[in-house]
Amino acid sequence: MSAAGEGTTRVCDRLESGAVELYFYDELPVAGRDGMASHLARCRECAAALDDLKVIRAALALRPGVSAPPSGDWSNFMDRLDTAVLAHKGSQNSEPPKVVSFEPRNPGTLEPSNPGTFEPSNLRSYIGLFATAALLAIVTISVVFLARNRAVPEAQFAAATPSSPDARPAAEATPIATTGMRSVGEQHLERSKLVVLGLASKEPGEVSVSDWAYERSLASSLLNDTRLYRLAAEERGLTSLAGVMRDLELVLLETSMAQGSDPAELPQIQRLIRKRQLIQKMDVVNTVGLVP
Amino acid sequence: MTPDTDLIFRAAAGDHSAFQALVERHRSMVYRVAYQFAGNHHDAEDIAQDVFIKVYRSLDRFRQDAQLTSWIYRIVMNACIDHRRRHSPAASAPFGEEAEQRMLNTPEEAPGPEETTYAGELGDVLEAEIARLPPGQRMVFIMRHHQDLKLGEIASSLGLAEGTVKRQLHAAVHRLRRALTTANVNVGGPA
Repeated sequence: MSAAGEGTTRVCDRLESGAVELYFYDELPVAGRDGMASHLARCRECAAALDDLKVIRAALALRPGVSAPPSGDWSNFMDRLDTAVLAHKGSQNSEPPKVVSFEPRNPGTLEPSNPGTFEPSNLRSYIGLFATAALLAIVTISVVFLARNRAVPEAQFAAATPSSPDARPAAEATPIATTGMRSVGEQHLERSKLVVLGLASKEPGEVSVSDWAYERSLASSLLNDTRLYRLAAEERGLTSLAGVMRDLELVLLETSMAQGSDPAELPQIQRLIRKRQLIQKMDVVNTVGLVP
Repeated sequence: MTPDTDLIFRAAAGDHSAFQALVERHRSMVYRVAYQFAGNHHDAEDIAQDVFIKVYRSLDRFRQDAQLTSWIYRIVMNACIDHRRRHSPAASAPFGEEAEQRMLNTPEEAPGPEETTYAGELGDVLEAEIARLPPGQRMVFIMRHHQDLKLGEIASSLGLAEGTVKRQLHAAVHRLRRALTTANVNVGGPA
């Protein structure tokens, strides 16, 4: 063993071997601890290393421990996770799930859903999608106005029918009016598509009652906003877009009313999705998002 | 409280509420490690999402005799490395025995201690240097220093030899000490 503290310039072997860390973290056997303690009294280099470790520990202990998202609000985190898990359930036989990102896309850039696969030669095929996305942006703006205008009548309706299970406060019934328009639109479409994908890929006869209850609650939660999108599209005369929203609304409505006890329910919903080509239509929207 | 193993069994059988309970029980630990690794909420949340999706996909492969926290730690570590790899392909050294030397010598791209000293905060200097540690060293340091896990536990969680973990920790501490010295921060010991 050399010892810098004993007059040489070579790094102390004990320090080099990591023994000081083991001593500091109390991971040396008892016999080793005693030997190290007496060594530390003689070796300035090791003693300085030990002091450094103490300072590092003290400094880091003063740093705020972060073990939750900002404000301690886990709701968005859990929503994202539920959506991703749902997607996995719906595509267990096709591809693995991915983390669903609801981040707004970079404005002014051409950023498809999978940036790694974009080819300039595909630009032509994106033109039609951009047109659809632009229409959706217009519809989204309309939805904001509709939602605001409808807030009072809905509140009145809710007050007039307190026993209705669907009666909700106006603020809760119109989240679009209070949330970022763009992100809400993207979230809504992303979630709707995942629900539709999940329904389309389920095996009839293998869906449990609890699965149905979960699908039902998801579909119900998306129904009101889908209806608002459809109404806004109809008011603007955007018939094809209104058609997509109507098809989506129909599927969500069927799902929200399904009991799960009738084996014909799921095949019927799946036929509806296929017949209306709903997944393909929603793919168009999801490919480019709500780019104004 | 329902044991983890029961929740895993039920979640693997399709009980969504059991999976949610599992997530709620372990999300703070996962988030804490992810945040310490990534240094910001955005990446920490993505890593934590990735972890629980992987947990969900692997529920039926979990061995009932294994420690759940060790299993999750390993998933967290891989998710952190994967995340780093996706965002910085140049620093994509795989985590394993054979890659140890490469990892020891591949610091992350981040401001060096000289650039952060002006803040005068020891914690700032250290955190900046921790962010520059190669992923393997960073993970081992976080698990030892922040999570207070023993070297044997870290080795078991990460599937590494204890000697490897010890070397990774030693290298991490060495870098931190050197950063403090370079930054002319007086951290004790004789002048």
